[in-house]
Amino acid sequence: MARNTYKEDELLEEPFDFRHLLRASVYIKKHSGQMILALVLSALGGAAALVSPMLVERALDDAIPSKDVRLLVLLVVELVLFYAVSVIFTTIRSRIMVNVSQNIIYDIRTDIFEHLQRLPFQYYDDRPHGKILIRVVNYVNSVSDMLSNGLINIVLEILNLIFIVIFMFIVDVKLSLVVMAGVPILMVFMFWIKNKQRKAWQQVSNKNSNLNAYLQENIVGARITQIFAREDENAEIFEGLSALCRRTWMRAVSYSTLVWPGIDTISVCVRAAIFITGIVIFGQGNTSLGIIVAISSYASRFWQPIMNLGNIFNNFINNIAYLERIFETIDEPVEVTDAPDAYEIPPITGKVDFENVTFSYEKGKEILHNVSFSVNPGESIALVGPTGAGKSTIVSLISRFYNLDSGRILIDGHDISRVTLKSLRSQMGIMLQDSFIFSGTIEDNIRYGKLNATEEEIIKASTTVCADEFINGMSDGYKTEVKERGSLLSQGQKQLISFARTLLSDPAILVLDEATSSIDVQTERALQKGLNNMLQGRTSFVIAHRLSTIIGCDKIMYIDDGGIAECGTHDQLMAQKGLYYKLYTAQIEDIN
Amino acid sequence: MTGAKYCRSKKIDSAWPFELTRIQWLWANMKGLRWLYVIAMIGTVCYNALQLTVPYFSSKLVDQYLSGENAAYNLANNRNGFYTLIVLMVGLTLIRCVLVYFDCMAYEKVSQGVLFKVRNYLYDKIQRQDMKFYSTYRTGDLMTRVTGDLDAVRHMLAWVVRMVVEAFSLLGATAIYYFYMDWKLALCLLSIAPFIFLIIYMFKVRVAPLHALLREKLAYMNTVAQENISGNRVVKAFAREDYEIEKFDECNTDYRETNIKTANTWLTFYPYVETLANILPVVLLLVGGLFLIHGNITMGEYVAFSGLTWAIANPMRQLGNIMNEFQRFSAASKKVMEIYYSEPEIKDAQNAIPHSERFEGLIEFKDVSFQYSDGKLPVLKHVSFTANPGETIAIMGETGCGKTSLIHLIPRFYEPTDGEVLIDNINVNKYRIKDLRSNIGLATQDVLLYSDTIDGNIAYGDGTLTKEEVVRFARSSAADEFIAKMPEGYETIVGERGVGLSGGQKQRISLARALAVKPAILILDDTTSAVDLETEKEIQHSLSELPFTCTKIIIAQRISTTKSADKILIMNNGEITEQGTHEELIKKGGYYAEMVRLQNGEA
Repeated sequence: MARNTYKEDELLEEPFDFRHLLRASVYIKKHSGQMILALVLSALGGAAALVSPMLVERALDDAIPSKDVRLLVLLVVELVLFYAVSVIFTTIRSRIMVNVSQNIIYDIRTDIFEHLQRLPFQYYDDRPHGKILIRVVNYVNSVSDMLSNGLINIVLEILNLIFIVIFMFIVDVKLSLVVMAGVPILMVFMFWIKNKQRKAWQQVSNKNSNLNAYLQENIVGARITQIFAREDENAEIFEGLSALCRRTWMRAVSYSTLVWPGIDTISVCVRAAIFITGIVIFGQGNTSLGIIVAISSYASRFWQPIMNLGNIFNNFINNIAYLERIFETIDEPVEVTDAPDAYEIPPITGKVDFENVTFSYEKGKEILHNVSFSVNPGESIALVGPTGAGKSTIVSLISRFYNLDSGRILIDGHDISRVTLKSLRSQMGIMLQDSFIFSGTIEDNIRYGKLNATEEEIIKASTTVCADEFINGMSDGYKTEVKERGSLLSQGQKQLISFARTLLSDPAILVLDEATSSIDVQTERALQKGLNNMLQGRTSFVIAHRLSTIIGCDKIMYIDDGGIAECGTHDQLMAQKGLYYKLYTAQIEDIN
Repeated sequence: MTGAKYCRSKKIDSAWPFELTRIQWLWANMKGLRWLYVIAMIGTVCYNALQLTVPYFSSKLVDQYLSGENAAYNLANNRNGFYTLIVLMVGLTLIRCVLVYFDCMAYEKVSQGVLFKVRNYLYDKIQRQDMKFYSTYRTGDLMTRVTGDLDAVRHMLAWVVRMVVEAFSLLGATAIYYFYMDWKLALCLLSIAPFIFLIIYMFKVRVAPLHALLREKLAYMNTVAQENISGNRVVKAFAREDYEIEKFDECNTDYRETNIKTANTWLTFYPYVETLANILPVVLLLVGGLFLIHGNITMGEYVAFSGLTWAIANPMRQLGNIMNEFQRFSAASKKVMEIYYSEPEIKDAQNAIPHSERFEGLIEFKDVSFQYSDGKLPVLKHVSFTANPGETIAIMGETGCGKTSLIHLIPRFYEPTDGEVLIDNINVNKYRIKDLRSNIGLATQDVLLYSDTIDGNIAYGDGTLTKEEVVRFARSSAADEFIAKMPEGYETIVGERGVGLSGGQKQRISLARALAVKPAILILDDTTSAVDLETEKEIQHSLSELPFTCTKIIIAQRISTTKSADKILIMNNGEITEQGTHEELIKKGGYYAEMVRLQNGEA
């Protein structure tokens, strides 16, 4: 799939069906006991409330004409009791359903979040992050009511409807048919509006998603906006996206709002029809007045649940657009995943073998072609070569962030595609170019490498990477709060923190991907000294352009054109007078 | 990183911090739509009035033509009356339906209009904030305010207000009708209302802080999810998925519990409200029954009373719900207004001089000291230097010595705590920010690209750039070659933060983006650190041959970059410790000379 931006809607090719609701039943099933209880309570509460008109009728027919105050009071007491029962039942039902609906939200949200943790980089790389975020937070909030109270109400209304229809037919078949005559019209109306509505709400969800994507990128990139003085142009783009949100929303509600008045209109026409047919067409002789009265009262009762159902249906249509998006994310296939018979890799000693590894991010565009090499435990390997040659790719394959097209990668003789990801990655220390800082204290950020690390361990790791000094110079030392986009830390300092974080995780294999590029040469040297002890016995891969970083490594691999062009020690490669020699002398010449 | 720490509720100030109240603020933002809104409210009153009259016609229909004593006679002799009633019933319902439809649409139109206006305003407000603002608010928090919180404001206008009008118009109309019929019975029935209001008020007091808490929890959950998504590479690198799930679970649970607590608060009050609402028919039966027995009212009056109890009971029931929604609006709108009324500290001076022509590029730092407002120590101490137009100044120094802070003072990302930064002999705070920044091209350390095409990213600063120019600047930053090799060339979409590109590639695109605005002042903040040496040489070369003159300030670690600079500044601990050309500094034998030695590989 091509990458998505805030300008493009995410296509959803699935046709509408209630399959999504069936899918959602997984979440509902867990609470089926509670939901049935709630349903029963509602039914009983409803039944109790139905008794009240009968009591009132008795009061009016018996108690009042006979001026029987005692009977009147008695009936009033009964009425109070029935209402009390109804209130109690409804309250309990509501309490149950609050729990159910909140648990459903919670479960869906947990599932979508857990699944996101399993998705590869690619997923995050392919779309603006704001579009992922809106699904986890906003969309999930929207669907809960539909899946809890919505379902119960549907059942209740349908039951209600069935009873009414049965009663109606018992009373008079012909007039019942008149009442039902409105149903086909209603069906046509609902089908017409359903299609319109679904598309319209999908548009709303698309446009909101785009807006969210743009918003998130621009909050994160505020500094870029400001330096390029692009505020006016951005405001215009945002306004455009915002206007689309408004337009699609207005379009969607113009259909949704139609449902209720639409059903109301159909219902009143049906009632008029009953009166007219009952009286004029069937004639008074054939139809008793009582029946017409009864039917006309049933007709209004028949249409009430239908109107309620219409409202619920409306709600469903609006929210299914969101549900579709949520399930789309949950169903996103995970390519890099534990093999069914995956085993935990035992503690790694650090032997790494590439056997004829071929790899491409996109079909037909090979990044690595038939790469083979072998690294012994404890060796440090420098990867050099032009930008984009595939250095980062090689190291990300060691942690199995991607699956290979062909070939194998072995660590200590274990094929990494056969071991569990967690056991593999938790023994690797990877420092990326992008040193991401979470909001929290500096200590928390370092502790990310080892969750149960003591304060001493954290300070020790920071001291090793020469970060201790600047951290102590901050307002609250290790407890200083930093933000994701925090201004307090320079890029070099962020790298040192993520270095300490990696070190703390005590990895068997260490990967440094341009990890020190923003750290000055002198700090790097001091850091290297501290690291040398640490690195003893660990295999390490270092990607760097700075010669001072490279020279100290046991082996240097020059990566070019999808493969290893040269490999050897610094002295060997210098003697070879090839690409590395050229690279090295170029820099030296440059300085002198 | 426990959730509890972030979840603690902020002290809620009792004093309202803004000039306008919430409602005044809404009203102010309704400009242009106020009449429509007033009409919509009148419309609500009208359709509710119709809702009260339609049952009257249908019951009359039943009374006169179906069940009444003279039904058979009326039906036989007064068909016209019969049809009139039918037409009235159907016609009025139709009118009501049409009214309801357009009324709802009017509410939607106004609420969307306000949403549109406020959302755009907030966006603009946010993007013009200074760095201090950005270190106060987390991304996820800001996102929540512009989306979820703002939606609560929309909901207020689209739904809550309509419900309030509906409730009070039903209540009011029915009350008037009741009093008209029999004031004693009416008084008995309406005496319930104060109790309901009291309960609702008590509910409001209890639920208000919960709604504020709920907004906090939502913002926190948004933050955790947002950072998890942005930091997905780190999460995977450390195999911390389980930990992240746990962390998210904590705020997810927290949010759920607060939601349940809020809903249950309503449910503790609900039985009382519902009971009071149900008392209406009971009172009617008892008192009305007694009145009937004593002949104070007629049967017809009783039926009229009873036929309208719903019009009093339902709005009463609704009030709790409405109050709940109103509290949600209250909590959310406060968060929205906080951003709405936030003012950046760094903004155009009142007497800022418009300066549309291109800067010469003379930069002067005069005894500049600087300290972050949230920092403990000064970052820059008495820094002074001059960069003449067209010169190249290189800055070198240890990590955290203040290099980036120094260059951030030039585009006025921060204000110096002491001293002056001058461009073309005018203090930077005297320029309009737009004029100032559009003369500066800055390639930051932390490269941030947008999910857009490479072409779009390079032309970010100047949308009018032609394709040829884009290619030319890409060539200047040695990016043309790898871009051309990509499957869709310049039309390739790069992911957010440029993921999918290597660090060096991102840096080169960012450089091209900075060059593309043809700035008078070009600032490169370690922009080539991840670029290989050969490419860097190429870039150095093209930088010296730019098709426009500009003063260059380059932060670099590599001697190869600094060597040809007109002046090299060595910084240590916020101070300039050495200043001079490559040769001069080598002779001086200080930090720089040591660097040269180190980078020659003489360890």
